[in-house]
Amino acid sequence: MTAIFGLGGCGLLCVALIAVALRLDALAIRVRCALAFVAALAVFIPFGDLSAAAWVRGVTGDLSVPTLALAASACVSRIAGRTLFAPREWRALLAAVAAAGLFLYPFALGFTPFDPYALGYGSVVFVTVLLIATLGAWRAGLNLVVLVVVVAAAAYLAGAYESRNLWDYLIDPLAAGYALAVLPWRGARS
Amino acid sequence: MSARLKWASLAAVALVFGGLYLRAFDAPPPARFPPPRASAQATPSAPSYRSQLLPNSSAQVHSATAVELADGRLRAFWYGGTREGASDVAIYTSAYSPKAATWGPERAVMTRELAQRHLHRYVRKLGNPVAGRDRDGRLCLFFVSVSVGGWAGSAINAMVSEDEGETWSAPRRLIASPFLNISTLVKGAPLLLSDGTIALPVYHEFLGKFGELLRLDAEGRVLGKTRLSWGGSSLRPVIVPRLETEAVGFMRYAGDPPSRILMIRTSDAGAHWSAPVKTALPNPNAAVASVLLAAGPLVLAFNNAEENREELSLALSTDFGDTWRVARNLEAESPPPRAPVAEYSYPWIMQDSSGELHVLYTWGRTRIKHAVFNRAWLEGGGR
Repeated sequence: MTAIFGLGGCGLLCVALIAVALRLDALAIRVRCALAFVAALAVFIPFGDLSAAAWVRGVTGDLSVPTLALAASACVSRIAGRTLFAPREWRALLAAVAAAGLFLYPFALGFTPFDPYALGYGSVVFVTVLLIATLGAWRAGLNLVVLVVVVAAAAYLAGAYESRNLWDYLIDPLAAGYALAVLPWRGARS
Repeated sequence: MSARLKWASLAAVALVFGGLYLRAFDAPPPARFPPPRASAQATPSAPSYRSQLLPNSSAQVHSATAVELADGRLRAFWYGGTREGASDVAIYTSAYSPKAATWGPERAVMTRELAQRHLHRYVRKLGNPVAGRDRDGRLCLFFVSVSVGGWAGSAINAMVSEDEGETWSAPRRLIASPFLNISTLVKGAPLLLSDGTIALPVYHEFLGKFGELLRLDAEGRVLGKTRLSWGGSSLRPVIVPRLETEAVGFMRYAGDPPSRILMIRTSDAGAHWSAPVKTALPNPNAAVASVLLAAGPLVLAFNNAEENREELSLALSTDFGDTWRVARNLEAESPPPRAPVAEYSYPWIMQDSSGELHVLYTWGRTRIKHAVFNRAWLEGGGR
């Protein structure tokens, strides 16, 4: 079952990358839908031993919920021509992901005794900090942040992925890298 | 957002955080190390030593590990292929019969293609295996695989055997790093803890080089971990418990000279570890192995030089690691032949239920060598 979710997420990322690379939104709606359908099939069809989704999974592992949200958003925007959440919501999510990445990754490199990644295996303190942040987002009407945390926590509790670490559902280097790269640009534009 | 939807989202938050708190409170409490093994009856015996090369068809082999089987045989695992890191590298096994003093034919238990199929992802190469047992007595085999890059791109996989290594379950991936789960490797023996969970010493070598102790459930899922060291110069930890709360660990040193084996200690069953200190024993940036003999000294297998791996020695400590006496030089005391390339490295050491000691090590990168000896031989050497 974990393989299905893992491969599904990587397949979604592949389709999003194809939709962005081919600039599907510039094409007629029927062509967009046809190409998206073909791409969605193609990424799961094995070439040789592995599908494109399995190749990507070999490199990235299972993708966090923010990465899946970004990929889903790219698909919806390029194929249906719609945006699901307001720019303010995306900025808030990217800011949260960037902040989490700046906290998690430097310490996870092992240059200090403190290991925040270990908290993800079941820490009351970590869960409490996450709850406070989520309630703050709810109070501020940042629905995308709340949705991402709820889906990530539900996936973690359901054991959707191989990981038993909550961090792996909340963040990955792809989402953190994207957030750190685009946030200054989006902030300057807003 | 409508008011109804807003309150529904709050209810969803309450629901999932209720689950998160339950999971956090349900986390397994700290467990103790396995109690010291009962002493094998140390009947006075004459010094005994013999050695032989394991059968292998691969051009290069490396990183042997072994476990004693229920019938008293030894089952070894190693990886072999045309060269280290090649796509044809597979994990091999062979069984040793103490009565016949011979190794059976080698057999592949995991190939890159098989790992790829079972793990549902691209796998480029295989690496270090490490064997142990779980609480149900099943054999566990942990092995490294890489999808991208060199060994810094490693991840660990686990599989189990219910028939002493004849057949194996599909491997599962252990998730132990937030960096796309890369850069986690194994070399030290797993320990079965008092509550049936497994402590697996691992190390990372992506920018930082440091050791960690993973805690795994019976299904091989990571339940937690503890940092054994930090910084950029310690790797390949091996952990040796003395009491249920006390253990010592040794690590390969990859830092500035003087190059010495690193040592760590815990006195609270691994909840906290001391900062690594350099021992008096040299280390040419190479793996070490250690075992505490039943009612006996601590034994360390190591390369006794700072620059090369030409001498593989055994040292003894009667004060649990504070002081050492180099007792034997394994390769110098073995009968010919000598390896074409004088590299004797990556030792694995264990004591079987009859009290005999086994050391398996890489012999010139082309063979795995097995030395079996008794305590009388070990303690009779050196000064």
